[in-house]
Amino acid sequence: MAKTKANKTSEVDSWIYKELFELVPYNIAVIDRDFNVVKANDNFTEYFGNWKGKKCYKVYKKLDRPCENCNTLLTFQDGKTRVSDEAGIDQNGRPAHYVVHIAPLKKTKNGNIDYIIEMSSDITETKRWQREYQLLFDRVPCYITVIDNNYKIVRANESFRENFGDVLGKQCYEVYKKRQTKCPNCPAAKTFKDGKVHRSEQVGIKKQGNKTHYIVATSPVGRGMGEVNQVIEICTDVTELKKLETEIIEAERLGAVGQTVAGLAHSIKNILMGLEGGMFIVGQGFSKNDQKLITEGWEMLQRNFEKITSLVKDFLSFAKGRLPDLELVEPNDLVKEIVELYKDIAANIGITLTADLDENIKAMPLDPKGIHSCLTNLVSNAIDACQMSEKSNKQVTISTRYEKAALIFQVEDNGTGIEYDIKQKIFTTFFTTKGGLGTGLGLLTTRKIVQEHGGKISVNTRKGEGSKFIMAFPKKRLYALYNSKEA
Amino acid sequence: MVDEDKKTILVVDDEEDVRRYLTTALTASGFNVITAEDGGQALEEVKKHKPDLISLDLVMPKKSGAKFHRELVKNKDWAKIPVLIVTGHARDDLGKADLKNLTMSGPGIYLEKPVKPDNYIAAIKKLLNMDSTEEESKLADKLKLQSELKNLIDDADPEMLEKLKSMMKDKDKS
Repeated sequence: MAKTKANKTSEVDSWIYKELFELVPYNIAVIDRDFNVVKANDNFTEYFGNWKGKKCYKVYKKLDRPCENCNTLLTFQDGKTRVSDEAGIDQNGRPAHYVVHIAPLKKTKNGNIDYIIEMSSDITETKRWQREYQLLFDRVPCYITVIDNNYKIVRANESFRENFGDVLGKQCYEVYKKRQTKCPNCPAAKTFKDGKVHRSEQVGIKKQGNKTHYIVATSPVGRGMGEVNQVIEICTDVTELKKLETEIIEAERLGAVGQTVAGLAHSIKNILMGLEGGMFIVGQGFSKNDQKLITEGWEMLQRNFEKITSLVKDFLSFAKGRLPDLELVEPNDLVKEIVELYKDIAANIGITLTADLDENIKAMPLDPKGIHSCLTNLVSNAIDACQMSEKSNKQVTISTRYEKAALIFQVEDNGTGIEYDIKQKIFTTFFTTKGGLGTGLGLLTTRKIVQEHGGKISVNTRKGEGSKFIMAFPKKRLYALYNSKEA
Repeated sequence: MVDEDKKTILVVDDEEDVRRYLTTALTASGFNVITAEDGGQALEEVKKHKPDLISLDLVMPKKSGAKFHRELVKNKDWAKIPVLIVTGHARDDLGKADLKNLTMSGPGIYLEKPVKPDNYIAAIKKLLNMDSTEEESKLADKLKLQSELKNLIDDADPEMLEKLKSMMKDKDKS
């Protein structure tokens, strides 16, 4: 009974073995000590072609003598299993990449191994992907580095190495910025801490020593939760863009200078006209012996002389300082100062001056003196506009807020408003509607200061309803100016 | 005040000193003068008493010279009044376009501030077809030519001007 059962088991085993030999998704071959392929499954035959009576090197690699560094030979010698990555030729003559597991199959009594079983699987596709990935990694027009949590670079792509030089065993800050210590505001440090993607704009130094502006995104490597051990840094070079941006700011600045000079010329022409007139009237007075005309002309000369004196004074203060002197200041504090300064003056003439401040606004790089004079100009204009209005509830409000990544200062009044025609001119020349009272420099100076900060000033106004002057400072530009000043 | 034998000039300018100056110059040459501070006032004055000539500034608060002129020429009777433009904005963005429109449809003479009294009177007399001394008419012709030249130069291609300049320099050398 027992014997029959044993026989049956052995039959089943043999059947399973045979099926398995054919069904496993591997190419299986059995090799003897003379490198003859003595048995192989259908998968193997399909992949490498006919093997009967052939040597393994002929079948796998279409060679006529044994391969150098033959792993099979080693396993015959020491009986250890091995895995190796091989390149051969398939039955259609195409290059084939495969991974092969080598195991001793049978030991004879004297300890010799007679056969070896080799199970291989095709990795040609995987190899191709690997190559593509490597190519992509190296050639994308980005600098890519992977760093460990000691900020040591463990991988870097070709673009990076070409631009920043050798990376082996170096710290990222050393290679990116030629620094000896970690950078302040390091986005990778943030990613190590919270496992999230962080972005920032940085200035690096290339291997030739020239500066490069880049935007870096840092992201944790690996899919696991928990501690981040490696971070990948992908950088886009924006040096050219940066250059363009600076050029635009510069062009706007020059444009402002051009308009200023044109405006100045006009003011001087007007004063010359007054002087010409004064001289003429005095001359007429003399020739007609008319004391009244002489006095009138003389007064006109004096008046225009004074005008040119105050123009020169204003212009000098206007022309002073080409670059804004940026420092980190609280925008809200600047507004509070102005409100303190003008509150009583405004109240005395029946105008309520209030501030409406966004408490989320943080310190920004601004020229405090410049912004102070901008706000002073806008607020005193607003007060003038209210004074000329006949409304009973006169109000001027200064507010701050963030809008589209820009810091906004806004001065709003419910005064007389500005007519369309005049609105077109208020920023462009020494234009004034205040007769002899204004030099026409207030808004021009304001615009100049705003533009030098890389900002824009605009106005919304309606005749009879009031005006809203908005100064917008893109944060990016403020920091760009700030950083270029630092550098 | 208004002497019927004398021609009446309306001087429009927002600057008091300019009005005084031009008034004195015109009075000395035997004109009646009325003044206005802006285009709006000027229209009122024209309604009250049609002047023989308008001396007009371009850039003024409230109603500009160009705006005033557009309204002026809507009235067929007023459209015939000669206009002399006296402006400081002949060559900047504020006045150039307005000036071109006006001079093309109008008298073809403009004066750029600051103006000399002789030039001013000569231009006025020319526009009014008044008998003038030989000297005055020469001056007026010169002014007209100058205005035309200025217009041409303002419109000219800067590169072409540079070329002309260097050509003239070369000519001087040879």
